[in-house]
Amino acid sequence: MRINILIGGQAGQGIEASSEILAKSFIKLGFYSFVYRDYGSFITGGHNFNVISISEKPIHSHELAFDLAIALDENSFKIHRNEFKPDCILISDLSVSYKKYVKVNTQEIIEKINAKPLVRNSIFLGALFKALDLPLETLLESIKERLKDEKNLEAAKLGYEYSRKLKKIEIPERRNKKVFIDGTTAVGLGAIYSGLDIYFAYPMTPATPLLHFLSSKREEYKMKTLQLENEIAVANAALGASYAGAISMVGTSGGGFDLMCEAMSLQGMTEIPLVVYLAQRASPSTGMPTYTMQGDLKLALNCGHGDFPRVVIAPGDAKEAFYKTIEAFYLAYKYNVLSIILSDKHLAESFYTFDSIEEPKIKVENIILKDQKKFKTYSLTKDGISPRSVPGEAIVKVNSYEHDEYGFTTEDAKTAKAMQEKRMRKFETLKKEVEGKFEMAKVYGNGKNLIISFGSTKGAILDALSTLKDFRFLHIIYISPFPKEIVKEEIEKSKRKVIIENNVGGQLGSVIRENTGFELDEILKYDGRPFTSEEIILNVKRWLSGKQ
Amino acid sequence: MENNKIISNYKISWCPGCLNNIILHSFAKVLSELEKEGKIDLKKVVVVAGIGCHGKISDYLNLSSFNALHGRAIPTALGIKVANKDLKVISFVGDGDIYAEGLDHLIHAARYNVDIKVFVHNNQNFALTVGQSTPTSEKGYKSKVRPEGEKQEPINPVFLMLASKASFVARSFVLEKEHLENVMREAILHKGFSFVDILQPCIVFHNTTNFLKERIYKIEIPKSFEEAMKLSLEWNYNLEEKSKIPIGIFWKETKETFEEKEEINEIFYKRKKDVNFANLIKGIIL
Repeated sequence: MRINILIGGQAGQGIEASSEILAKSFIKLGFYSFVYRDYGSFITGGHNFNVISISEKPIHSHELAFDLAIALDENSFKIHRNEFKPDCILISDLSVSYKKYVKVNTQEIIEKINAKPLVRNSIFLGALFKALDLPLETLLESIKERLKDEKNLEAAKLGYEYSRKLKKIEIPERRNKKVFIDGTTAVGLGAIYSGLDIYFAYPMTPATPLLHFLSSKREEYKMKTLQLENEIAVANAALGASYAGAISMVGTSGGGFDLMCEAMSLQGMTEIPLVVYLAQRASPSTGMPTYTMQGDLKLALNCGHGDFPRVVIAPGDAKEAFYKTIEAFYLAYKYNVLSIILSDKHLAESFYTFDSIEEPKIKVENIILKDQKKFKTYSLTKDGISPRSVPGEAIVKVNSYEHDEYGFTTEDAKTAKAMQEKRMRKFETLKKEVEGKFEMAKVYGNGKNLIISFGSTKGAILDALSTLKDFRFLHIIYISPFPKEIVKEEIEKSKRKVIIENNVGGQLGSVIRENTGFELDEILKYDGRPFTSEEIILNVKRWLSGKQ
Repeated sequence: MENNKIISNYKISWCPGCLNNIILHSFAKVLSELEKEGKIDLKKVVVVAGIGCHGKISDYLNLSSFNALHGRAIPTALGIKVANKDLKVISFVGDGDIYAEGLDHLIHAARYNVDIKVFVHNNQNFALTVGQSTPTSEKGYKSKVRPEGEKQEPINPVFLMLASKASFVARSFVLEKEHLENVMREAILHKGFSFVDILQPCIVFHNTTNFLKERIYKIEIPKSFEEAMKLSLEWNYNLEEKSKIPIGIFWKETKETFEEKEEINEIFYKRKKDVNFANLIKGIIL
């Protein structure tokens, strides 16, 4: 069983809160929820909608085929009418004609209980609970947790009374505790767990929610968030802070990251640990700020001039984002490298449900040598990793120019060669540890054919896999270092293989080609919207039959 | 001289006779005096430099240093200061470096009143790239880009810094060494953002030595901000016959620093961390 609920309306009509209340209520009843948010670049007005997909089994994505719809304005009904399933239930107070319509007189209820107009949403949630014959108490509990105005409880009760039972869904027997989390919070919690000291950022959608989340946790975890004058200041300040010993992170989206690229090259040369949260949005340029895309993969891999090692990790869902953020910090601070956590709007702002979340096995170690005399910032070690110290404990010289072991500027050919080799050597050491310790890619299913993807497309592909039984799914998590052997082996042992990605250029395809020599077919989507499982099934079937 | 402890053995590659040497030695002298007086701990001094002739100074000092990017020394310095508030963070920048490439950072750092010191080696040209004009090159300055003479008016950084409400604003002249050292000393001891525009003739591309020598005069700290603004407008950085060039401290006031405003109370690398996992995930469990 899977139920897709639409809540549509204008910005400022409370769609987010209502979705969260609904999703949490279903989880409390033993279901799994996935919430997709679709909104434009406006603060009020326009058309926004959320999809809350629920199932008694784990669910990883939304669908655009609705079983229930709450329409907060007429536009929502008009725009989504053709996405209603034949027996879709409409819940609203609009004057529209529709056969399965729970029309609630919200005006009357609001006047009766003398409440603010925004309790209208709670009336609809109550009506929805009755239509599905679900226990009202669970909804009331969720409303109480989320909304301050107690009139919402009364409103939900009356909405429930006014409604009627239209559909019966089986409530799961077991009601275990579950984890409900969005991609942004997951990265934030991972950063806090890693001992984040300072988060530097300049607001840019869809990375801004992380700045807000971490700012809200400042007091509790004794860390700082600093919003500076632009992304250039942000990246350079973060390197300064990390040099002085603080665990530092920056966050931005494509355009902001473009501005940081020179500082990324500086990171490569100075070998100061740095973690970057790069939340992609529809590009190029300003693009579509609130829509999703996987168009910055090559940017993450190639930003900054010159050769220097970097880690690029693209988690596929919120739980993975939590663990992989910790790995990003661990690697940056152990190997003095740049770690990029590559997310996107879809992962950052969607809510996922998991059965559990376990304590991570690794802990970030920020090892700083104390009380050093004649300290070599860039000691030429066998594994390429130069132990760190900080000003105050030693004279620590870092340099954007090529330098000797002490950090003094050099143009000496022999020293320059040794430093270039040292920087690359530490990446070999890093690669070995990552290969032996972390999940760089994961294979799902048992079919003879293969779908390959990365990042946030994971959810929709996993949900499509129950239909595409002939397919396995190879989800690549580490883009750098690249799990060359795993990818090669999976491709070689598969009959038909196709890459799925959310961009127009086929960037993962070219990364795979560069690393394995295989040139594969691609299914691409690049309208700013994430894939749904239906789309994947349809497109994979078309591709199999050669009618793409 | 005690300076030897502060000046490194690295071979100086500024042009013979370059006036950057005066800035280097004046700085070393001031630091060693402040150390002797117990006012500074050399272990806790960090020098941040931009890119340009001035930037070489980081190699010439036996101090912690960060030779940063062109125009980006100021945000780098800010990051260092917030990570470890006990450090004395001193940035050396150039006029091309900070009035062209990184001007935005200069204005914002003044606005934040972050406790960093900014010494500008202002030689009114891009010397390391062989003499193009910078934002403080005078109108008419001849370079290979504009052999007929620069067409744009220069900016007035002292006026700009006053307008940005910097809490310490000064101008010095390298050939007034004692005066320079006093200003440097005051700037280093000032709590908050200090800005010193150091007029430094470039003996190869832009030798303004005689022009400046003849027109420089020393000022006392003005009594009011209005007076300071007025005084800063006396010279517009053009090389005009009738110019009068005031040097000294134009403005000095005590204000809350960036670190105080952001409540930065600890040194982050010494921070004890014990994130409790169960507590961390409390909010996401239903």
